[in-house]
Amino acid sequence: MSGRADPAGPTRYLARVASSLRGPRQYRDRILAELRDGLDQSVAAGIGRGLSEEGAVAAAIEDFGQPDAVAAGFATELAIATARHTLFWYLLTGPLVGVWWLLSLQPYPWRAGLVVVIAAIPVLPLIVVAIATATGTVATTGRLIRWLPEASARHAIAGSALVAALAVFGDLVMIGQYVHSGSPARPLGVIAVAASTIRVVCSSAVLLHLVVRGRLTVSAM
Amino acid sequence: VIEALRAGSGGALDLPTGTVYPALHRLERAGLIGSAWHTVNGRRRRAYQLTPAGCTALHEQRAVWDQFSAAVTALLNRPARPAST
Repeated sequence: MSGRADPAGPTRYLARVASSLRGPRQYRDRILAELRDGLDQSVAAGIGRGLSEEGAVAAAIEDFGQPDAVAAGFATELAIATARHTLFWYLLTGPLVGVWWLLSLQPYPWRAGLVVVIAAIPVLPLIVVAIATATGTVATTGRLIRWLPEASARHAIAGSALVAALAVFGDLVMIGQYVHSGSPARPLGVIAVAASTIRVVCSSAVLLHLVVRGRLTVSAM
Repeated sequence: VIEALRAGSGGALDLPTGTVYPALHRLERAGLIGSAWHTVNGRRRRAYQLTPAGCTALHEQRAVWDQFSAAVTALLNRPARPAST
């Protein structure tokens, strides 16, 4: 038996599961591919037991459970994947935005010394809180859960939403300070403002998505 | 996995197949199992296997379960005492 012999039943079933899955596309595709594999295997086993093809498909679908229940079972993992995906994005792109502000404030950071450079960052407390939240959430939703208390999906989404909100606030503060400083526009400053503006737009979309995601997660669990 | 659960428990653990996948994904996220796609008879299949950390956790959890079930069994097998008033 191959997946080609039973196009209707499993395909319809998986379409119903897919319509309820919310999260990173790559992860959703993996889930659906795995479910398809499992269904095909189950149908083949049913035919091996002497069932007709239709009977085997029906039995396999019944064994899997209701599409909504199957999708709900993945809600936690998808929410955590969404949160981790978001946090990795901030941890990777954060320095790319920050470096332009740093160079704009201290054009020669290697001359000024580490303490002076760090003290020159106006939103330093926000950055510290954001990094602590991001690393804490990543740590308590990944392999370290063998030793650390595991964060729930709700906490993971809340953690990533907090980091996104801090990024928006921090970027707006930096842009506001730069604009109101009255200093002449310099290339480094313009690049920093542009980088922060892009991140504000992206973070706003991320926040909106996470708020919706959070609601869906709560309702699915 | 489902068949092993069903057969190994004499049919007592008969879970809907679809509910096992999220559990496997969580174990993989914890690094207790690993998975990879393989091609078997021309069809792609995802195979899971225990990681070294998973083997260690399995031994630890099995010991915890054995201790727990032995304690409960001993408790239930005690002769019943008449209720005092």
